[in-house]
Amino acid sequence: MSIANKPLSLTINGKAVGPLLVPEGLMMIDFLHEYVALTGSRLGCGQGVCRACVAILDNPDGTSEEIRTCITGAHFFQGKKIRTVEAHAKRNDKGEVVELSPIQQAFLEHYSFQCGYCTPGFVNAATVLVEKLKRQPVDKDKVEETITDALNDHICRCTGYVRYYEAVKEVVMNTPGLVKGGKA
Amino acid sequence: MAKLDLSRRSFLKASVIAGVSVYVAPLGGKAFAALFEEKLLTPVKWSGKDGKAQFRIDGIAKVTGSKVFARDARARDMPHWPDQQSHAFILRATRADRSYEGFDLTLLGDELQPDRIVTAEDLARDGVKFPAFYGEDMLLPKGKTPAYLGHAVAILIYHEFAKFRFAKDTLKFHDEVIRYGAVTGPLERDPWGTFRFVRVGGTTPFDDDVFSSLKNAPVFPNMMRKHQPVWPDGQEHGKLGEQGMFYAGKIQDELDHPPADWLVFDREYHTQSIDTAALEPDNANCWYDAANQALHMIVPSQGPLEVVESATELINGAKARFPVKQLFVHPCFTVGYGSKDHYNVPFYGLVCALYGDGKPVRLAFDRYEHFQTSIKRHAFKMHYRIAVDKKTGLMQAFKGDFEANGGGRANFSPSVAMVGATAAQSVYYFPKNDFAAVAIASRAIDAGSARGYGTLQSMAATEMAVDEIAEKLGMDPIDFRLKNVLKSGMKNTQGAIPAGAIRADEVMEKAKVHPIWANRAKKKADFDTKNPGQRYGVGFACVQKDFGTGAESSFAKVEIGEDGTISLFHTGNEIGTGMSTSQALAVAKWLGFPAGDAHFGVTDWADLPVVTSGNPYLMSQAEQNKVSANPRWSPAYASPASATNSAFYYTHSTREAARVVFMHGLWPAAMAIWGQGIGGGQAGPLVVRVEDARWVDGKLSAGGLQALPFEQLVKKAHELGLVTGATVHVFNRWRWSEADFDIAGKPVRLPIDGLSLKYGSGAKPADKAKAATRGGYHVLDRKKVYIPDVQMNNAAVTYYSAVGTLVELAVHEASGKVEVLNHHSIMECGSQLSPQLVSGQLQGGVAMGIGHALHEFLPLYEDGPGNGTWNFNRYHVPRAKDVVVWKQTGEVLPPVTETDPPKGIAEVVMIPVVGAIVNGIAHAIGHRFTDLPVTPEKIQEVLA
Repeated sequence: MSIANKPLSLTINGKAVGPLLVPEGLMMIDFLHEYVALTGSRLGCGQGVCRACVAILDNPDGTSEEIRTCITGAHFFQGKKIRTVEAHAKRNDKGEVVELSPIQQAFLEHYSFQCGYCTPGFVNAATVLVEKLKRQPVDKDKVEETITDALNDHICRCTGYVRYYEAVKEVVMNTPGLVKGGKA
Repeated sequence: MAKLDLSRRSFLKASVIAGVSVYVAPLGGKAFAALFEEKLLTPVKWSGKDGKAQFRIDGIAKVTGSKVFARDARARDMPHWPDQQSHAFILRATRADRSYEGFDLTLLGDELQPDRIVTAEDLARDGVKFPAFYGEDMLLPKGKTPAYLGHAVAILIYHEFAKFRFAKDTLKFHDEVIRYGAVTGPLERDPWGTFRFVRVGGTTPFDDDVFSSLKNAPVFPNMMRKHQPVWPDGQEHGKLGEQGMFYAGKIQDELDHPPADWLVFDREYHTQSIDTAALEPDNANCWYDAANQALHMIVPSQGPLEVVESATELINGAKARFPVKQLFVHPCFTVGYGSKDHYNVPFYGLVCALYGDGKPVRLAFDRYEHFQTSIKRHAFKMHYRIAVDKKTGLMQAFKGDFEANGGGRANFSPSVAMVGATAAQSVYYFPKNDFAAVAIASRAIDAGSARGYGTLQSMAATEMAVDEIAEKLGMDPIDFRLKNVLKSGMKNTQGAIPAGAIRADEVMEKAKVHPIWANRAKKKADFDTKNPGQRYGVGFACVQKDFGTGAESSFAKVEIGEDGTISLFHTGNEIGTGMSTSQALAVAKWLGFPAGDAHFGVTDWADLPVVTSGNPYLMSQAEQNKVSANPRWSPAYASPASATNSAFYYTHSTREAARVVFMHGLWPAAMAIWGQGIGGGQAGPLVVRVEDARWVDGKLSAGGLQALPFEQLVKKAHELGLVTGATVHVFNRWRWSEADFDIAGKPVRLPIDGLSLKYGSGAKPADKAKAATRGGYHVLDRKKVYIPDVQMNNAAVTYYSAVGTLVELAVHEASGKVEVLNHHSIMECGSQLSPQLVSGQLQGGVAMGIGHALHEFLPLYEDGPGNGTWNFNRYHVPRAKDVVVWKQTGEVLPPVTETDPPKGIAEVVMIPVVGAIVNGIAHAIGHRFTDLPVTPEKIQEVLA
């Protein structure tokens, strides 16, 4: 077989990237790792099962969704906007983290992760959930169920999930507007 | 994961490194931080009041997706490497019953052919071979039958990523690439190891044993016949082995012809092979710089020192073709649950680099490859015979036969089989036992160190057995357990007395009154009525798991800078368990604050030269006595991060180093301040004792004295030239080595075997002159050392922590699905270093145990992962919905006193839930499974 390259342009973490010549058929995770040096989206299974590779796809209508970069071709993202785990924390000019996102902060304070390999996928999934709840708040008694449905596909081998889920619940309950009836 | 390494490995120590200068810059170390953009470890934010850290010190790096793992690193990230990154993958044989005859890359066409192919012929020509521990045929030569499914046959190296990617994708699942010759059948080999532990206790559990492994010796076979062990003939007054077999024969006779009031329970249990499923797939990224004769390795490993030693062994063998004067190793944070301890991928990575045409080569497995090669948990077959006196309900004898499937390479299989056997007693006292364990060689993938290390297999089975025995006796299962529980001071099945208080009985008492247990009968009746088609059950199990290997060693260095910075350097490496956080916290016991500057995976210990030789498990007492005359000698150098060894063993070295700094630095500094002035100052009128010293809000006080700020003490200690840094080396063979030292002219005995000191900036010239190491340390030669006798090896284990787990579940009759409805665990772990880390370990361990009991399974042979087709689509790792994420609970017994040492719990937490689930299923449907995992299909078969 021969390798056919074609140009790819997209927006990653708010910055325009490309056009870069990228082989057709290359998966997005390989593009992120090998072409733009973003390795925070982790390869877990390569078949879209474990969700360690999940990034956020920002749709033109203002909605966001999880997308599995290990089973989605890089050229699918032509002209699209994505966020990877590297997007969330605010950094100073030296690149040092000066402020974490609320989800990251909650994961940190809850000791949510151990090895941390799955953490980027959880950060992105929980971020998408929070953004969804901003648009579509959930009843207070459905919060746990909503979190479970949003995160259940994500594999974590170290923690047993409890501290991830508790952290997300805390953010959901304490962020105004995510739960119907206002802040719990 | 206790490890008794009885392999033929010639232990390689620091001296082997001679000729090759080794440089190690671990992630998080200053050197590595300079290589990467960010510092990965942030100082501990903690409260001095409750001693709790606000978050993990590696937390910010991990939650922001920083380059934490070896897998994240590329050549371009390494300032001193070339930018261009090459990539490699390995061709593997997927049949192990016929000869291998080469491979055919026609499928790749012209465009995707590799830039370099490495085969066994290359390795043989160039003198490249595995370090001895890993066995032979790193790449299989043509004409030989693969030793196991997935045996590596060739390495394909690409200098361009896209070509590599598409070539790898093209060959995936194409077994026809490998050519085979004549059918030979699988290789037949002797077992990797065989052991037998026989014990006949005295009149009471507290009397001397008649015969035991510790008092006398374990029994070893005389020879192998048709790959089966041949045991000595029993002789009451014969050699030790013959005596052991005499008592084994008596136990056998008694079980065959029991007294009328004995119940002899007889079951065979099977437990499966699993993958630890560490989410970071195995990988390495290495560069051989021929011009400078330098080898660079970025590797994920639980034991960076093992990588250094073994890599040195490999390159020394190939030095004619690939001369290496300098070895640079960059160990990274990783995760393995045992599977990245003594695994061979770093050395395949090294070989890739040797043949990389001067370019760095990255070998990064995908999940299929990871399943195909990563170290597996041993499948066990166990035959138990347990005798119980029906009148008293007391267990009388336990005969167990254990077969662990070790797969294609020995790895740690001998010790896994041994540890499995010695754990089989679980939490119970048996007056007599005969445990025979064999680790067989097979064509399965290598099995080795995996969380639980043989004990998950045997203790889960024991917990199923005791539950069934209780039922047969008509006793409450917890009452039966309590009647037989091993209590403090009783002996284990090797005849050793476990360390300290054994509190399994307290765990059981708590479980007995827990609502899940106490209300189970009523709840079952209600649930089954309300939920037709479902059957409710409650199960309980309680185990205690050893931690450590019987040859635990580590270095720790604690320093206080003039600016008050507390630095910690440790040989331990972060594997996700949070040890970097807990060790940073551990120094606060003596220094009032946690270490703000922490370094792990450190292998440069020029400030405390320690040498080692021989095998700590096999050496004779005479040999130990002889070599220990060298004041720098220790039986072992530094243990990998495994065997649940951080909380107890690593904390010991960390705290001993901190204690030396306190006792010989901060305390005398405080006394100098308190004693200043006429009449002995403010201390003069008081009785001042060091045992009254307390840290309160960062200040030190004692016996009514003014609380002095840490900064003031540090300044004084430096000004007076007191001890401001200590490097210690420690060794534990089921008890700590101790040694006598002279510190400032005073004799001191410490539970360490090596010590060097750093003095404050105001030190006298004579002291400064002694501080001659690179880091400015004064190496003290110990005056006398007290190393535990080699006989302690036969104890096999003395340290335990206990966990009991209650499980509520529902069996769905139609689907056969087992739904875990709730679970509650009770843990005993001494003093907690970090409660958040402890509860996280418990929650994670229970999830892994649920996976083992119900979901995870790998066929051993042709249909198994060796064929390269396994991934998470059909290997079910538990998800949140499987583990009752919102309801589960756990509790920790308070320590007996605050002086209890912290105990290791990372393995024990996953074990009782396995037995509890199987026992719960029995409560639900009345059938006792003996074969794991309990799948819906098996349940449907029973309910049909």
